[in-house]
Amino acid sequence: MLRSKLLSAVFGASLSLALISSGTAFAAGSHGGGHDMKIGKPGDPAKVSRTIEITMYDNYYEPESLDIKEGETVRFVVRNAGEFVHEFNIATAAMHEAHRPEMMMMMEHGVLEPDRINHKAAKAMQASMGHGMHKEANSVLLEPGKSGEIVWTFPKHADLEFACNVPGHYETGMHGPVKLSH
Amino acid sequence: MPSWLLRRALVLGAGLAVALTGAANAGEYNLTVDRVTVDTGTFSRSGIGYNGASPGPVLRFKEGEEVTINVTNNLSEPTSIHWHGLILPFDQDGVPGISYDGIAPGDTFTYNFPIVQAGTYWFHSHSGFQEPDGAYGAIVIEPEKREPFRYDREYVVQLTDAHPHSGNRIMRNLKMMPDYYNRQQRTLFDFLKDSREQGFDAALADRAAWGDMRMMPTDVEDLQGFTPLINGRSTEQNWTGLFKPGERVRLRFINSSAMAYFDIRIPGLKMTVVQADGNNVLPVPVDEFRIAVAETYDVIVQPKDNRAYAIFAESMARTASVRGTLATAEGMAAEVPDQRMPPRLTMADMGMAHEGMDHGSMDMGGMSHTMPDGSTMQGMNHGGAGMTGMASGAHKMPDGSTMKGMDHSGHGSMAASDPFYAPGSGLTPTAANGGKFLSYKDLRAQKPLYEHREATREIEMRLTGNMERYIWSINGVKFSDAEPVRLQYGERVRFKFVNETMMTHPMHLHGMWSILDVGKGKWNPIKHVVSVAPGTTVFMETEVDAPGQWAFHCHLSYHADSGMFRKIVVEGGPDGKSAQVPSSKTEG
Repeated sequence: MLRSKLLSAVFGASLSLALISSGTAFAAGSHGGGHDMKIGKPGDPAKVSRTIEITMYDNYYEPESLDIKEGETVRFVVRNAGEFVHEFNIATAAMHEAHRPEMMMMMEHGVLEPDRINHKAAKAMQASMGHGMHKEANSVLLEPGKSGEIVWTFPKHADLEFACNVPGHYETGMHGPVKLSH
Repeated sequence: MPSWLLRRALVLGAGLAVALTGAANAGEYNLTVDRVTVDTGTFSRSGIGYNGASPGPVLRFKEGEEVTINVTNNLSEPTSIHWHGLILPFDQDGVPGISYDGIAPGDTFTYNFPIVQAGTYWFHSHSGFQEPDGAYGAIVIEPEKREPFRYDREYVVQLTDAHPHSGNRIMRNLKMMPDYYNRQQRTLFDFLKDSREQGFDAALADRAAWGDMRMMPTDVEDLQGFTPLINGRSTEQNWTGLFKPGERVRLRFINSSAMAYFDIRIPGLKMTVVQADGNNVLPVPVDEFRIAVAETYDVIVQPKDNRAYAIFAESMARTASVRGTLATAEGMAAEVPDQRMPPRLTMADMGMAHEGMDHGSMDMGGMSHTMPDGSTMQGMNHGGAGMTGMASGAHKMPDGSTMKGMDHSGHGSMAASDPFYAPGSGLTPTAANGGKFLSYKDLRAQKPLYEHREATREIEMRLTGNMERYIWSINGVKFSDAEPVRLQYGERVRFKFVNETMMTHPMHLHGMWSILDVGKGKWNPIKHVVSVAPGTTVFMETEVDAPGQWAFHCHLSYHADSGMFRKIVVEGGPDGKSAQVPSSKTEG
């Protein structure tokens, strides 16, 4: 149990590429310069108004859309009930789009396998290419059977989606709208 | 209990349950086999169809259903229907001389079998050249469980290569003169041009080598002069599928051609491949893909603009093309893209590079960047031919830009490399927009059907032929002279296809799955057609889990008929019970 918690904490960290060598390539991406109020910000756990459970299947979410109040701080408990690795990521459609090539590259480098995250390959990739893994507060990447959490404070106005950017998942429908009410 | 045995038991159990509960999950379907007119807009001729039309209807089944299909032969000759890609008892497989005797004129044959799979398949006549003459239709099987992708609407996109000549006439002409339909032959003028470019001796040596092969560099398609159709419609007739902007549309591509491979793209749209040969694959976003004869690919597209998009299919040799349209209203027509230049076969396609082409040991994916010593990319030695096994454009961003800071020096023509083509092959496809072209190596089973295990034995199948006499064969022996291939129930056979010809052969095994070795172990995709390019060796594995006797052949109609065909006999069965097979009888 302890082991699985530890693992999920590790796996909960979003794999993301700091593309040092091609710095500007992803300036528009979710990892270019932190999170401004455009998409919201990491939330204070003490200010959470409610918990929303997200279940990830192959390749879709339940629920399929989210109704959130402007400025609300929500705890998302995300469970991967599918047989493949999935991500729960809150961002704009453009940010998701920019994020997908990074995920594609991780798949091509064997870091992202269909049903697991290969940490050996991740380390090798980091060593050879200078790409690192670091935690992103707006997303969680989970192996099958694993759970993770995000606490997020939403902005007043934004066109947000929650989405999985594992190659092919977004394209085949694994995303949903975040409806912000006033 | 091994998983394949368990599944077979489940399948049997399911069949029994259906029988006991009566008609709750049983469907009855009627097909007539009729003389029809095939009208392409440029020519019109008599052909064969189903329920009065070619292509025939889309048969929609549900996984778990027990189907009864009454097929009435209204022709004046025998016919048959083969359910391409369906897993069923061998006596329902529809191959005259192997599964049954066929359907005599005026007779009705009733097929009855359980549907044990889901996805996109098709059906066609397995008698003579009725299929090239128009006898084909689509099968769509709805899965029991929710699919791993979402779409708002779906269309079958079934391709064919309609020819103004009947199949029988084409076969006669090919036998008489194998280059009868090759309109791209090189001329003295081409030779003089080659001499200028390569020098006279080199050009002459090149010509002599081609002569020895009894082939020509233009032998990409040995049947030209056809009009490709989408769902029975030519470019002018413009098959159209409607959508609302933003909708996700599933397109079920089926290549029902007699001879033509197609390269398919939808300019302006990324296609996400979600299924190959009826089995889900891990989704792969691509710009273009090649569909071998008899294959199926399902893609999902999301057209966002209120306009017409072209579904454009160019034949592999670029001798013909067809445009269909995805549009927001009837009557809209997308612009027809220009056909690209025809490819030329190279010495590599002649088999010069054979020795280096062992796909079984070419899993570059696993070793490309997992350097245990942590050395950098620059220090990696991809070593010559092995490099072709690396993902093409592995470091290309989807927008086509390469990543700065990465050293690709020495990687050469990586963008056009694909381990399923001979290195330097003239056939290696590239996307029209410079983007991603699907390769077999991108395909991974979404849900492996079998536990991965070592093959119990290997069977070599050299794909051979004598172009001058238009004889196609396996291991140098044509069907009429060959003994059946005997397999034992329960074994896992590794087939080694060595293509010694200069043509691409889509090999099709009936009744059992073809697990294509793309070097991904348990994730290897599960297919029913495996295309083998010239000068390459391709491996596939089959769990021998279906008793009885089955057809195995090149799906190019005129290759199958002229001898690239085998009968496969599966001996034994569950609990030692072998299937009751009729006394041996061999006919094409």
